[in-house]
Amino acid sequence: MIGEALRAGVAVWPVVVPLAAAALALLLRGRPALQRGVMEGALALTLAAVAALLGRVAGGGRVVMAFGGWGAPVGITFVADALSALLATTAGMVALAVAIFARADVRARRRRAGFDPLFLGMLAAVNGAFLTGDLFNLYVWFELMLVTALGLLTLDRRPAQVDGALRYAAMSMTGATCMLLGIGLLYGVAGTLDMGDLSAALAGRPPSVAVTAASYLLLAGLALKAGVFPLFFWLPASYHTAPIGVAAALAGLLTKAAFYACLRVLVTVLGVGTAAAAVPGVPPLLALLAAATMLVSVLAAIAQVDVRRLLAFHVMGQVAYLVMGLSLATAAGAAAAVVYTVHTMLVQTGLFLGAGAIARAGRGYDLRLLGGLIREHPVFAALFAALALSISGIPPLSGFWAKALVVDAAFRSAAPWRGWLAAAALVTGFLTLYSMSTLWTRAFQRPRRREGGAAHRIPTAMVVAVGLMAACTVGLGVAIEPVVRISRVAAAELMAGPAQGGGAP
Amino acid sequence: MSVLLALAAAGLAGCGLYMILSRHVVRMVLGLSLLGTAVNLMLFQAGRVRTAQPPLIREGAVRLGESADPVPQALVLTAIVIGFALTVILAALALRAFRGEGTLRSDELRAARALGDPLAPEPGRDR
Amino acid sequence: MLSTLLAASLAGSCAAWPLGRLLGRRGAGWGLALVPAGLFAAFLGFGPQVAAGRTVTERLAWVPSLGVDFALRLDGFAYLFCLLVTGVGALVVVYAGAYFAERTASDRARFLALLLLFMTAMLGAVLADDLLLLFLFWEMTSVVSFLLIGFDGGSPSARRSALMSLRVTAGGGLALLAAVLLVGASLGTYSVAEAVARAPELARGPWAVPILGGILVGAFTKSAQFPFHFWLPNAMQAPTPASAYLHSATMVKLGVYLLARFEPLVGAVRGGRDVVIGVALATMLVGAFQAIRAENYKAVLAYSTVASLGILVMLVGLDGPMASVAAVGFLLAHALYKATLFFCAGTVIHATGLTKLRQLGGLGRLLPVTAAASLLASLSMAGLPPFLGFVSKEFLFEAQIESSWEAAPMAVAVLVNAVIVGVAGVVTLRPFFLGRGRVREVKHREVPGLLVGPVALALLGLVISLEPAWFDRTVLRPAVAAVYGAPVDVQVGLWHGVTPMLLLSAVVVGVGTLLFVYWVPIHRRLRAETLLDRVEAEHGYEALLRGIEAAAAGVARRVQRADLRAQLATVVAAACAFVGWGLLAAGVVPRVPAEPLAVRAGAAVAGAVGLGGAAAAARAPPLLGALLGTGLVGLVAALLFLTNGAPDLALTQFAVESLLVVLLTAALLALPLAAPPTRARAARGRDAALATALAAVCFVAVLDMSAAEPRTAVADFFGARSYTEAFGRNVVNVILVDFRGFDTLGETTVIALAAVIAWSLLGPRGRAADGGDAPDPPARPGPFVLRFATPAFYWLLAVLSAVVLLRGHNEIGGGFVGGLTAALAFAVVALAYGVGRARGRLRWHPLALAGTGLLLAVASGLPGLAAHGDYLRHLWIDAEVLGVAVKQGTTLLFDLGVYLAVLGAVLAFLFGLSREAER
Repeated sequence: MIGEALRAGVAVWPVVVPLAAAALALLLRGRPALQRGVMEGALALTLAAVAALLGRVAGGGRVVMAFGGWGAPVGITFVADALSALLATTAGMVALAVAIFARADVRARRRRAGFDPLFLGMLAAVNGAFLTGDLFNLYVWFELMLVTALGLLTLDRRPAQVDGALRYAAMSMTGATCMLLGIGLLYGVAGTLDMGDLSAALAGRPPSVAVTAASYLLLAGLALKAGVFPLFFWLPASYHTAPIGVAAALAGLLTKAAFYACLRVLVTVLGVGTAAAAVPGVPPLLALLAAATMLVSVLAAIAQVDVRRLLAFHVMGQVAYLVMGLSLATAAGAAAAVVYTVHTMLVQTGLFLGAGAIARAGRGYDLRLLGGLIREHPVFAALFAALALSISGIPPLSGFWAKALVVDAAFRSAAPWRGWLAAAALVTGFLTLYSMSTLWTRAFQRPRRREGGAAHRIPTAMVVAVGLMAACTVGLGVAIEPVVRISRVAAAELMAGPAQGGGAP
Repeated sequence: MSVLLALAAAGLAGCGLYMILSRHVVRMVLGLSLLGTAVNLMLFQAGRVRTAQPPLIREGAVRLGESADPVPQALVLTAIVIGFALTVILAALALRAFRGEGTLRSDELRAARALGDPLAPEPGRDR
Repeated sequence: MLSTLLAASLAGSCAAWPLGRLLGRRGAGWGLALVPAGLFAAFLGFGPQVAAGRTVTERLAWVPSLGVDFALRLDGFAYLFCLLVTGVGALVVVYAGAYFAERTASDRARFLALLLLFMTAMLGAVLADDLLLLFLFWEMTSVVSFLLIGFDGGSPSARRSALMSLRVTAGGGLALLAAVLLVGASLGTYSVAEAVARAPELARGPWAVPILGGILVGAFTKSAQFPFHFWLPNAMQAPTPASAYLHSATMVKLGVYLLARFEPLVGAVRGGRDVVIGVALATMLVGAFQAIRAENYKAVLAYSTVASLGILVMLVGLDGPMASVAAVGFLLAHALYKATLFFCAGTVIHATGLTKLRQLGGLGRLLPVTAAASLLASLSMAGLPPFLGFVSKEFLFEAQIESSWEAAPMAVAVLVNAVIVGVAGVVTLRPFFLGRGRVREVKHREVPGLLVGPVALALLGLVISLEPAWFDRTVLRPAVAAVYGAPVDVQVGLWHGVTPMLLLSAVVVGVGTLLFVYWVPIHRRLRAETLLDRVEAEHGYEALLRGIEAAAAGVARRVQRADLRAQLATVVAAACAFVGWGLLAAGVVPRVPAEPLAVRAGAAVAGAVGLGGAAAAARAPPLLGALLGTGLVGLVAALLFLTNGAPDLALTQFAVESLLVVLLTAALLALPLAAPPTRARAARGRDAALATALAAVCFVAVLDMSAAEPRTAVADFFGARSYTEAFGRNVVNVILVDFRGFDTLGETTVIALAAVIAWSLLGPRGRAADGGDAPDPPARPGPFVLRFATPAFYWLLAVLSAVVLLRGHNEIGGGFVGGLTAALAFAVVALAYGVGRARGRLRWHPLALAGTGLLLAVASGLPGLAAHGDYLRHLWIDAEVLGVAVKQGTTLLFDLGVYLAVLGAVLAFLFGLSREAER
């Protein structure tokens, strides 16, 4: 019976396990070692759960869990399909790397300040956002993401962190308000919150002011959370202030969850890219936003001298590729965006963790003072180089496939601006390489500027964490086929229309 | 009634935004709270305002009679509590920011902006 | 077999790092050279097959969903490259081992490993029969060459050159990637052979120009064609073995390889040949001029390489079978003599420490074998019989005469070849045979490791032309056939009688000799010509970098220096603009609800009061006023909820609003209350306009929504099942704990974790405080009235909260309101006696309370999961207690969890804020 329950709950464990562990860690407040044990154990269980889920749905088909036994459209359902399971698994890997890194980076003081419950809460929120089939439930998870992110951001309570969190909170709340308003308007028109049911209810309708406004408000809210120009200011205002392990988790998880929500809401609910699009005008807007985000972010990144800031801008520059895939409004574009999401979650996290290790070895993040790390840390230099090349789209790393797929999807689409979009993507690729090669040369190759002799030791846990992400990007580069296949299934499921939940009203 | 409620909610939203755009952080926090209330009213409106009858099943009855739509109410309740939590966090952040930097003007709070600022002439010395 | 060789090469390069350290100073080079030498031998084994005109292919599915294969194909042209790459590779590794003899074992091993890795990339690139695979190895050569050029990372110029070469070649690679993807999208295949075969189809397609353009940019950047040529001379920062390998024999030839492969496409697209030949001529001229002007030994060689690459590209651009013959012949001849000359240059620089040709002289006696090798190579370079260079030059002129092109390329070719003759003289005669006595001693004598490479290659350039049968059959003809697409009858021979080609060769040698004789004055004259420096393409690169940096700084300033206020305004303006765009795109107009405009007076008054409060809050200069205004709005909202059938909402809103006022007041006590205006009048005007825009969007959208016919299926379902299946009469509460209980769980988590944050943000923070056990300020007596009323209030609120919690499922109330009410009870105590007393009353730590609540709420879903397979499916028990029928379910557990979490959280806020305020 327990085994049965375990299997039955496979779709909810990725959320329930970290939630329960968060509560437990909260109760163990003041006992850092125990807290860490709870967190790591819960993480392992979560990872097992998402992997099992992925195994179950990889070939197509979905696992539906109706909370309280109330099936869609009345109750809340978790709909695990290829897309959500793939991203939840990737999120699990990201969390694993962060947890490993945290062994060296998060000391008792930060754990007492609540690292473990907050981190678990964030993991639960991200998985919840990936799995839920209910629009309002999605909003709740986004708010949980916001709250936990604010907490993690201010773990050290430094003035910069508080300042950054304040900006983050103000702008994110504005975005969340847009989202909530959009959801309310959709409920007012369609009388339902289940994504599948909403999609069916909206499909046949002539366009109306309420639905259009709701869609675009949702788009604005999610674009803000995904870090899309010109709504992305919260990200460069705050990410660089966070403890670096936290920044890695935020970079790997949050904007991607927001993009995932964009994909769900725009494609599944509003039918963008399908014959039954409920609102017109989304693809050109997204294309414009994608191109602008790419170029603005990568240029801003080039100007940076602080590794964290530099990487923060690349977070947005990479998100733009996801938006570009979505803007094509084709199955190939969506599939490419999914592959890109998997890639960028892993690599962004790896880069931020790498930045943490760089700072540990070179005592700071300022590229004007760093240098010479290749002498003492050749292996780490190679790992970081793999990540840097991956984000620049150099083969045979995951970033190459991701970028090639997105550009290829652009070429194969019918959008009149496909050539320009592809050109913007390639120019951004060049500028990304430009930025990352400068970063690498400065931090590793150039003789050290800062007085004080040799570089410091990098804790093994940090190298392992960075290595895990580097191994992921190399591994995916060599064997991208499964991810491509799953992403195709995911895109087909997305495009096929409503995700049907369980029972009927 | 709808028109009136819509008008009130929209007006509240406008006032909220006007406060959010202030450079004073506390004002901004209050503005966000106000905007939240406005959106809650609009969310409430999604169930249409038709009756003053609360969605309680009367003793003896087994199903709900004519009453207000309960779903938006549940949503608004959730949104109120979340908004409350966030507002308090914001207030705590504002307080902490004031303790740290001695000002509540968002343009004078510079700690985050100064950290690793590429446009600053001298390399920063954090950590 | 091919993939095995490739794998062996990769394995060898990976093993080279540890092995290179183990083998020691003398052994590293010789030992690791076994890897390329073995591969060379293995490739020789393919000779008979290649000679017979067969191609060896291998195809493994790699990413089948994308149609990408791990496909390798060895034809005559690839065969030539494989021999070149592995053969020269072996010699380079030996040479590098000796060259790096004095460096640390780690440096040596790293360098050799990189060389072998580079060899792997080259082999892969020429063997690949899949465009994406080709691209992979193509970029790999760029990256490894970046590491090789920047090998001495301590030198700023090495770093700059490495970055330059990476940016130029990898940037060109992106253009190639675009072309590759377009080929795939147009033809549905990534096979190189098939793409070449279907070139006419590509040329007719809509993407012909971008495809050709991408390939050309890729090839031109890689092969250092004008205007991308500048990276090559700069790349001379690399240790000389790398220059010999990358910048003469292999990497720069990769662009030529690609162009030669796609020659059919170049020919098929109108204007293709013109572009290629035009660029090639420009490259030749620039290379030749700069070669004369250059002062550094290696720079002279590098610029003459640029000129030679121009010749190669020109040959690819020319039509006719002889062009292919000449291209293959010259490619080989150039690789052999240029690598030799680089080796010799390396030895000289290594032995003397001098880099300028002007400083060198008379080394013939000190480095005799090197001098001899250099002489042989120079004779080949000058195109004198009986060397391979002579043969290839004959082919070159024959190709030009045969092709349909006019005289201009011929004239340029003659001129440039003459310069090459001059360079050949300068780089050998100057350092080794003239200027005797300029260098009197060298740091070390010639060692075998430094000699094998130059001598072997120099002799090869002689042997091939003297004994051409094997070479002709096995290498030249298959390669030409592969490039031209059909077998071409070629005769490698030294004497064909007096032909126009021979006459041209004579002219070239004559002019070249003159050039050599008058080298110094011409060199000085050209060096004085600064115009050439000013129009250097490198300046374009520098300007591009400056442009990028300036644009970057500008963007960064705008993005991260902006005021929070401006950023928020941008966000809201963008959201409004999105909606505006959507409305325009949809072309819709708002509907108005068709309802009587009967407005209840009470509601109208309430609305007006609310708006007034909001306006007051927005305009009030003192903070307290703004706070009270906001509170008033909350109360009015509660009133509106109450009068419109939402007592639960009203209660919650009321409780939240009261708590908010209490909490914010506590916060404000610690803050300055005076808040002078922060905006200028104009800014206020803009803000008001934006606020109006947002209000308009909201108003129109909500109005339109209200006009739509409501769909009530879900609401009706809840109304119908709430009592019969979820056993609750308060539908809102049933939705919260049962129908949509999962939302509530998420929200409970939000509030519980918010408590964690508030607790960690507020109050003192030492080791003790982290655990939340800081001593609270002592209890103080409150005002008399409060003291009098507090106990009553406290108990009233506490009891009320329990009632609200327990009855919530059927009456108004529930966990939330209950928790909030209980928190109010403590708030009253805190107000009256200070936080200390309130905490004393509580006994529990607020965070423990929140954690317990969250755990309870999460756990309450598990029994349902175990029993029915649905998380949060509530179980019910009917029991009779003292004669009263009691029906209770796990809903109560859930609600209790919510209650505790809310109570704990609010108390954490309250205590935290007070602790902070009282500090």
